[in-house]
Amino acid sequence: MNQTPILHVEGINKRFGAVQALKDVDLSLQSSEIHGLLGGNGAGKTTLMNVVYGLYKPDSGQIFLRGRPVTINSPRDAIAHGIGMVHQHFLQINTYTVTENIVLGTPIPHRPTMDLTQARDKIRALSDRFGLEIDPEAHIEDLPMGARQRVEILKALYRGVDILILDEPTTNLTPQEVDSLFESLKLMVAEGMSVVFITHKLREVMSVCDTISVLREGRRLLTAPRSELSEEEIVRTMVGSEEALEDSMLFSEQRRDEEAGIVREEIVLDVSDMRIADENGVLVDDLSLSVRAGEILGIAGVAGNGQQELAEGILGIRPLSRGRVRIGDRDVTGLGTRQILHLGVAYVPEDRLQDGFLPTASVAQNLILGAQRRTPYSSARGVLNRRAITETAVALIQRFHIRTQGPEDMAATLSGGNIQRMMLARAFAHPVRLLILHNPTSGLDIPSVEFVYDLLLSHKREGTATLLISDDLDELMLLSDRIATLYRGRIVGVLERSAFDKYTIGRMMSGVEAHD
Amino acid sequence: MTEAIVLKRKRGPAAILQALVPYLLAVIAAFAAVGVLLALLGFDVLRAYSTILFTSFRTTNGFIQTLIKWTPLVLQALAFTIPLAAGKFNIGGEGQLIVGGIGAAAVGILLAGLPLPILLPSVLLAGTLFGALWVLGPAWLLYRFGINEILTTVLMNFVAFELIDFTATKIWPDPAAGHPTTVPIGEGGYLPLLLSHPPLHSGLLIAVLVAILVYFYTDHTSAGYELVATGANPRASSVYGVNVRRMFLLSLLLGGAIAGLSGAIEVAGVHHRLIEGMQSNFLLLGIIIGLIAKGNNLAVPFVALFIAILEVGASALQRTMMIPGEMVFIVEALILIFVLLSDVVRRR
Ligand SMILES: Nc1ncnc2c1ncn2[C@@H]1O[C@H](COP(=O)(O)OP(=O)(O)OP(=O)(O)O)[C@@H](O)[C@H]1O
Ligand SMILES: [Mg+2]
Repeated sequence: MNQTPILHVEGINKRFGAVQALKDVDLSLQSSEIHGLLGGNGAGKTTLMNVVYGLYKPDSGQIFLRGRPVTINSPRDAIAHGIGMVHQHFLQINTYTVTENIVLGTPIPHRPTMDLTQARDKIRALSDRFGLEIDPEAHIEDLPMGARQRVEILKALYRGVDILILDEPTTNLTPQEVDSLFESLKLMVAEGMSVVFITHKLREVMSVCDTISVLREGRRLLTAPRSELSEEEIVRTMVGSEEALEDSMLFSEQRRDEEAGIVREEIVLDVSDMRIADENGVLVDDLSLSVRAGEILGIAGVAGNGQQELAEGILGIRPLSRGRVRIGDRDVTGLGTRQILHLGVAYVPEDRLQDGFLPTASVAQNLILGAQRRTPYSSARGVLNRRAITETAVALIQRFHIRTQGPEDMAATLSGGNIQRMMLARAFAHPVRLLILHNPTSGLDIPSVEFVYDLLLSHKREGTATLLISDDLDELMLLSDRIATLYRGRIVGVLERSAFDKYTIGRMMSGVEAHD
Repeated sequence: MTEAIVLKRKRGPAAILQALVPYLLAVIAAFAAVGVLLALLGFDVLRAYSTILFTSFRTTNGFIQTLIKWTPLVLQALAFTIPLAAGKFNIGGEGQLIVGGIGAAAVGILLAGLPLPILLPSVLLAGTLFGALWVLGPAWLLYRFGINEILTTVLMNFVAFELIDFTATKIWPDPAAGHPTTVPIGEGGYLPLLLSHPPLHSGLLIAVLVAILVYFYTDHTSAGYELVATGANPRASSVYGVNVRRMFLLSLLLGGAIAGLSGAIEVAGVHHRLIEGMQSNFLLLGIIIGLIAKGNNLAVPFVALFIAILEVGASALQRTMMIPGEMVFIVEALILIFVLLSDVVRRR
């Protein structure tokens, strides 16, 4: 590291109220490297990068670009200095085309005619150069998550940045999309660009990063070349405890079957012949499944093949065009969502920002969403019991390790992973017969994932039925008793645990029936 | 995962004081800005300030004028903030006030002979119902077809202007009045006075009661929780079982009912008849109050009191110093702008 770093930050401090989000952080990014930034939920990764990108003003500290001190007061400044960032939760205009989204906010040469031919050509050229496959004419709303991500990256490249910050870019990508993203990143650094890559997935870090830094509770504790680090060393630094990691499921690859208990006879969820259609066509069709007490039924499938609609159909959020849903001995078809939730059903939706949280409400209010009419939060007459709500919130914050200043804190100030913890806390706050979880560990740090897996298995032991929808095949194979694979809204096949096989499921995910 | 959690309570006097700082700064900045303007126009700035701020407290009459002004202002503000909690904008408060007033006057005139225990509740109830009725159209269009309520509620105001004109000039005109006015309602429909010299009608108590009830509803009941959740994120609320379209409908109807009640109180307490123009600029002030209070229904009565003080100061300004009362309106608007600005600044 004798070369001047392309980006160097020194002594960065940032405090939000009582939380010291960053403490004296130094970090150097060399040119032509992919720099992995790791750390637990709420460690300060996003905050640090937001400082570099000009979204937050640090309380103290200095940023250097190619050895020269600079002040960055806004993303506009950052881009002018060649720094681009793709956020954890980015915003795009759904009804605009890819090209329109990319040029938005840049000078347009032919404004009166809105002639975007030049822009389009430039986007095509960039897309070819870095293997970021995209159709510039496509509308955002028609694109899968991976393509939207590429649009965000192209947006930065279009503005000529040479430093690219990616905040948890792989969270919503399929394994294929992750691979192709990594290919693109490698092409970029080969051309002299530098990348900061935030993730919680060790495998990704180990496969693509040149250098790795670890943050914990606002401090940078470690920076080293990947070749000098082991996975265990990284996790140890992130967690900061000496407790043995050998027990961890994440390193064992195997569910501890003796702890998982047995699947019981009683059917908790029974879906028969479900069909869901709206103006966009048929989203779920001809779908039957059942989940027994003490069973985890995994749902595999490429994102967007009817997973969310299936969950919403069961919960009464979407009307069924056909079919029936039973929970226990009760037919709940056509029942309101609140009544269904009150039967002991808990739901963790996939899209935490859209479907799962109230940004301007307090953490405590978020935690009782869906349970606001239950005792002890509300009396029979509908008067809220603030004390009970606060007490529950305090207990859940502690039990689920939600990093917040307290139950009255505004939920919007939570870090991505902590919002996820909050949604999980809400789902597990009450006795539950049926869990419907959609990517429950998305954005969680490694110990939290472990915590959630333990929780799922302990509920399973006690007889909870779980419908586990996940894009993460490893997660499904680790936890499920059976896996059903969805393709275009239909179940292609169901595998028993003994027949789990990545390759088979992969083929089913592309629509190939299991038994041919 | 052994992060210490600081469980800090965000209430208590210190927190409230801290929350007040940006408001104080906003008020000071607004007064300073208008002070510069007044000085440039050659007025005595300090005397103007003291007129605006202290007229309400110098005389009993000033104080009572302030309370009378406060009554419709707080109700208009609540008619705006209840739908706002659900994320909807009721810009039809004055139309609902007018139509509530028409309902109240109609009952008061048609049943003029009835005694107070029957007539007064009927007058107030009619105002409330008519106000709710006036927002029913926009609310239903929103519920059924998702049609934007801002436009429809505003449009209903214009219909209400025609309606009050028709009522006051064609149905029950009072030819003796030089201005479109109806004949008086029956005396049984008058709100009893709390004080007679100078007169202070008991609509004040109704407004206090409504303000308390609204605060209790939005902040201390599960139904109110659902209203606020809907405003914070309608999609997430519906995923967790809140019927958000019903919340939209309900919140607008409640807002309309309260605005209608304020019309009935103006009729039964202040004018004892329907007068064209009685809605004054209450709608705009109500919206300003609601926005300064940032939709917090506990803060609304206090902000409304402050604005009522400024409004009474404004009329005194005009009377005693020949300074146009609109100056005070500039102060009010500037306070709002500075309060909103302080949010933007603090966010970074
Ligand atoms: N605008 C804000 N106001 C108050 N607190 C904030 C704000 N932004 C971040 N924080 C706090 O600062 C800490 C660091 O948050 P940050 O988002 O940087 O975490 P992160 O490392 O990106 O975590 P994750 O992996 O969950 O995304 C958290 O405790 C968070 O609650
Ligand atoms: Mg983050």
